[in-house]
Amino acid sequence: MAQPSVPAPNQEARVREFVTGFQTLRAEVRKVIVGHDDVVTQVLISLFAGGHVLLEGVPGLGKTLLIKTLAESLHLSFSRIQFTPDLMPGDIIGTNIIVEDDEGRKHFQFQRGPIFGHILLADEVNRATPKTQSALLEGMQEGAVTVSGHANALPMPFFVLATQNPIEMEGTYPLPEAQLDRFLFKLRVQYPALEELTEIIERTTHVRDVQVQRVMTGPQVMSFRELVREIPIASHVRDLASFIVLATHPQWERAPEQARRFIRYGASPRGAQALVLGAKVRALAEGRYNVAVDDLRALALPALRHRIILNFEGEAEGVDVDRLIGEIVEAAESLSGSQKEVFLK
Amino acid sequence: MPDRMVLERLVSDVARQIRLRRAEYYGLRGLLWGAVATIPPLLFKELLGGTVLLLSGALLAAGAAAGALYGLMLNLPAREAARLADRGYALKDRVTTALEWADRPDRTPVVEALVTDAVAHARSLQGKRIIARRLPRDARLLPLPLALGTLLAVAPPIPIPQASLPNFSSSREEEEEKPKDRAGELQTAERPRGARPDPIQRADVQERTLSPRLGAGGLSQPGDLAAIFKDTSLGGHAPDFNSFLKRGDERIRMLEQLDRLPDLQRDFTQNQTKMVFQKAKSLRGGLNPSQISPEKLRELLNEMERLGRKGGPNNWSGDVFEGMEALEGGQTDKAMEAMERALSKMRSMDEKGRDGKNLRGGREDERRGQRGRNRGAGQQGGPGDEGDFPEGEGLLPGRGKSASPKGDPTQRLRGMPYDVGVEGQARSGKKSGIDTNLVGRGGPMASRLQYLGVLGQYKKMMEEAIAREQVPRDFQGQVKEYFQSLDER
Repeated sequence: MAQPSVPAPNQEARVREFVTGFQTLRAEVRKVIVGHDDVVTQVLISLFAGGHVLLEGVPGLGKTLLIKTLAESLHLSFSRIQFTPDLMPGDIIGTNIIVEDDEGRKHFQFQRGPIFGHILLADEVNRATPKTQSALLEGMQEGAVTVSGHANALPMPFFVLATQNPIEMEGTYPLPEAQLDRFLFKLRVQYPALEELTEIIERTTHVRDVQVQRVMTGPQVMSFRELVREIPIASHVRDLASFIVLATHPQWERAPEQARRFIRYGASPRGAQALVLGAKVRALAEGRYNVAVDDLRALALPALRHRIILNFEGEAEGVDVDRLIGEIVEAAESLSGSQKEVFLK
Repeated sequence: MPDRMVLERLVSDVARQIRLRRAEYYGLRGLLWGAVATIPPLLFKELLGGTVLLLSGALLAAGAAAGALYGLMLNLPAREAARLADRGYALKDRVTTALEWADRPDRTPVVEALVTDAVAHARSLQGKRIIARRLPRDARLLPLPLALGTLLAVAPPIPIPQASLPNFSSSREEEEEKPKDRAGELQTAERPRGARPDPIQRADVQERTLSPRLGAGGLSQPGDLAAIFKDTSLGGHAPDFNSFLKRGDERIRMLEQLDRLPDLQRDFTQNQTKMVFQKAKSLRGGLNPSQISPEKLRELLNEMERLGRKGGPNNWSGDVFEGMEALEGGQTDKAMEAMERALSKMRSMDEKGRDGKNLRGGREDERRGQRGRNRGAGQQGGPGDEGDFPEGEGLLPGRGKSASPKGDPTQRLRGMPYDVGVEGQARSGKKSGIDTNLVGRGGPMASRLQYLGVLGQYKKMMEEAIAREQVPRDFQGQVKEYFQSLDER
């Protein structure tokens, strides 16, 4: 078991420590999870960026297993809530109960709910009622929950990984856009490839004891989160992030044609924050000290796909949001001048 | 702070490469225009004499030099050069970020590490050329003026014609003759425009031997369009090529109306509104509303009205009817406005449906709606009707409380299964309600008069629908008989 270490004062050593920690953590998760490399990487990026993740995929692709494995790889408390239509906010947050002290006096005492954990798996989050969903989402945004007028801070790091199934929509309560916006990334878990499926069968149908090691502590995660924010970003890269987000707004006068035609509401400033923070973690994980345009390109889909709402025409035409974002990023790059040919200017 | 000079040297090296390439690029363009400029002097070689070669050479050199100078003098910000260096050397924006952040007062300790990292990368790259040579597009034309110039230079001088006034007399005579000829042609060719020879070769069409058309019930052969019209009113029509040449065959018209033919690729999982919208869009065919013909508009409105009836209650059917009425009265503009209004309402209805935080109760909503309908019909829900089913129970086969895969029968059928469609005389005595099972001729009430008034309209709609829809021929007869019987009453 790896021992918690204090980050080195030297910046290069801190970055090296981050890179090592990131790779070790990913390797631990990969001991159990076959394939889904991008999803695993993006979940870790979200962990170090301080955001929450919404995983979407059909049943049986390993969403829950991925989250459980990640929790086992960290020295952090883990809670799991299976969302059902009859789940109440109190079941998540906790409730006041009457207790009797040694002197026989009765008083209310707050009994903490499962939200008071470092890593929280909200399984099938769209099965609960909006009231219950909002209880969780308030905690995600504020880092605290209020019960009977008293604010209770959630433990840090607090990392929510919610899952939802895109096909069984009957009797579900899809998350409203305002609440979806609180997730840093929305990741789509895809079917495994042939080789991956073979490997899954191999791993899961034989006698095989896989032990996942705990390789990182909560203070380390918090320290890395601070380090991430120190990573510099060049102005043209930052401008590109702004252009990408603005280009999703059909009202913007320079919005590309696709956005004007198919989008009803574009990404919020949270989208730009998610894009840049995620890009910083990605740069750091690759051992770089700066954010590159490639980082933005790589994270535009998970950071923006749940923040774009298609209009009637987009829905009617069956526009794929991911493809639309790809086109918007290209348009934004030409708008911001990052692809501009300086040769002939 | 580490040695930033390495980064600046790298950037200046890239800037030098860019300037060099620009000089080449614009120099070539200058050379092209210089070569073009040499042509006129060479044409007048006889006049200019031996100096023309010197002049041509000077023009060539001046064009190239001017172009190169322009390329060298073009502005090149260091920042752009740094970005190009990043891209050219695949440095992932290290150099740009390092140079930008090195002097910032709010720089973080990581910036120092960044500069060190960027310098380390830059040291290993010194001297590499990253700016590729680019040739201007018009440089491909350069050989032409050069070859022409060379040809003119080596060829003997072109004789220059003597300057003298042209003789207009002969040409005037010719011009006087020409109008006569033209007038003669006009006289012989004078005839109405409509009488021009028909470009369609009728004889060829009429002489074609055609295989006999199969009947509606007959076997269809590959490529035989009869199969498409098998179940339509046109199924029994024989081809009439004379009428086709005059007016166009109705089959051809039907084939043009793609929306009326079965679309096997349609996604029936889409909702009604989207289907209507898509149909409207396809009917409009990307035309501006002002460019839609009345026929096209009528089709569009008919389609919207038909789908509107299928799709349940909506707030745009009224506009569709209004549009149809306006179209009948020949007011195309009004009909167009009504259609646009209906489309807009359709769109807003769908948008509205997706408002309210997108909450979807799914089965809950359906059950609630069903309960409301039951209550409206004066029926009491069953004992289990008020409680919520656990997740997964209810309507799906094998998952509900009912043993029947289709669910429980309704109360009405279970209570009295024989009261459906029973006809007979009205009972005597006071009636507490209206008996809907009455048959026979009704009294001369206003409603009956209205019924008779709209019957003709419905009959017409029926005939249109039969012609439009894929209704089997046997059923067509039944439907027509039914309407015939209504008419007789």
